[in-house]
Amino acid sequence: MIRLEEVSYSYPDGTPALENINLTVKKGEFLGIIGKNGSGKSTLALQLNGLLKPQTGRVKIRGMDTRDPSKLPGIRKLVGVVFQNPETQFVGRTIEEDLAFGPENLCLPPVEIKKCVDMALAETGLQKYKYRSPKTLSGGQGQCVALAGILAMSPECLIFDEITSMLDPESGKAVLETIKKLHKKGKTVVYITHNLEELYDADRIIVMEKGKIRLEGEPESVFSNPSLQALGLALPSVIELAELLKTHGMVIPWEKTFSPKSFAEELCRLFLKT
Amino acid sequence: MPIILENVSFSYSRKTPLETLALRDINLRIEKGEFVGILGEKGAGKSTLTKLLNGLLKPETGTVRVDGLDPSLREAKRRIGMVFQQAADQLFCKSVYEEIAFGPQNFGYSKKETEERVYEAIEAVSLDHSILSRDPFSLSGGEMQRVALASALALRPDYLILDEPITGLDPVGKKEILDALKKVKDMGTAVITVTHNLKGFFPLLEKIVLIKEGRIVFQGSRESYLRKECVPLPPIASIMKELRARGIPVNPEVFTVEDALEEILKVKFALEKEKQ
Repeated sequence: MIRLEEVSYSYPDGTPALENINLTVKKGEFLGIIGKNGSGKSTLALQLNGLLKPQTGRVKIRGMDTRDPSKLPGIRKLVGVVFQNPETQFVGRTIEEDLAFGPENLCLPPVEIKKCVDMALAETGLQKYKYRSPKTLSGGQGQCVALAGILAMSPECLIFDEITSMLDPESGKAVLETIKKLHKKGKTVVYITHNLEELYDADRIIVMEKGKIRLEGEPESVFSNPSLQALGLALPSVIELAELLKTHGMVIPWEKTFSPKSFAEELCRLFLKT
Repeated sequence: MPIILENVSFSYSRKTPLETLALRDINLRIEKGEFVGILGEKGAGKSTLTKLLNGLLKPETGTVRVDGLDPSLREAKRRIGMVFQQAADQLFCKSVYEEIAFGPQNFGYSKKETEERVYEAIEAVSLDHSILSRDPFSLSGGEMQRVALASALALRPDYLILDEPITGLDPVGKKEILDALKKVKDMGTAVITVTHNLKGFFPLLEKIVLIKEGRIVFQGSRESYLRKECVPLPPIASIMKELRARGIPVNPEVFTVEDALEEILKVKFALEKEKQ
């Protein structure tokens, strides 16, 4: 779906943000990107739909090169981005209007626009707010509107750049659940975060540091990699405990670490065996 | 002298159809030098409470007193420092020095005194002196948050109030802020913070105030909080609770990875011994 070949990018002040990135995002995949502040995650996100263009190397979205201006409308239709602060991307006076902005720009006929808007409202559970101003919503609802605004354009691939980092845990979870539902329905998802806990059930995780990809793999192998801490990332404390228990011969299977309940049940089972 | 709230209630949009009661019957006492965590779900009234503490909002009924003073008085304001969630929202000067000097200058301290306080504050948050000439908006999130913190500290407050100070920071940035707050507390300033981040803050908290739907449903020591039913717990404490629910006698006050490991191994050895 998206392919990066030898991509490098430096900001105008000379700070290198990406160095020789090779990455393929497969269709239908849930890819997690993690790294500390300044590791190049957001720069990478901006490369994925041509908001930034590589200085060397190429980014191709289903074969379309992001450096070719004539391909950009096609690329933007395929790949949508949601950012950390939803307020920066609201344009409409009501949510309905806000959601119509994207399809309008794609020059769809009014009947189609209405269909797109209704679909986006339904997918995000925002129907009852459609006549409200996006500015009157809570943080979590605001992120849903930003997500719905992108959905209204029916992209195949959705990019999320730290969208839950300013939300409280409950709202963050709700937004992430909506995204997981969309992924199950076939959307390709690239999810950027510095909270490892959000990536338990990603298909694949890449860890970035200083503009390079340092680790790559399934969540289980990435979470148990001893170099994570050196890359400026905090292991969830539950995983840390599971790793320490392992050194004492008590192995808690990966999927049992997801909830305190299953973790405790597994411990009890191990106690019974001794 | 402490901060004392007596029977405080507060509503937004009073006397309009949109009136919403945010806090009711709040009785709270915060002593100098305490590290207090204000916990609760979104919309519970946590941020409203912080704004009542520093006089940004006035209670509808009841009283708020800071060392016996009304918090909207200038002298009370000097004693209370406030740091908001998004540091960028409270920074506005061209250099970090001007930013931190703004408070002391406003309170009429001499140039020399102001300079002394700026250096003291910057050291308290473990930032290098070279940062003073930089543009605050060129800093990383963690640095910006520490500059906001230093600006509050430059007035040498007796109470420091923070609203979600580590949200949005990466683990390194979080640790920098937590370390700085610990240092501030050790120097004798009371630290009062609203937070959802139990994992990060729990080791520092001495007192916990849990708010639910505008009321205080718990206030007390961290130890007694851990023994309470139906309260949000850090992940490790949740595992310990689940173990106790299954009849495994682990210490309910445990919430760190190291202590949990010790508890679990203790149970394991006891079982092995029994078997022999």
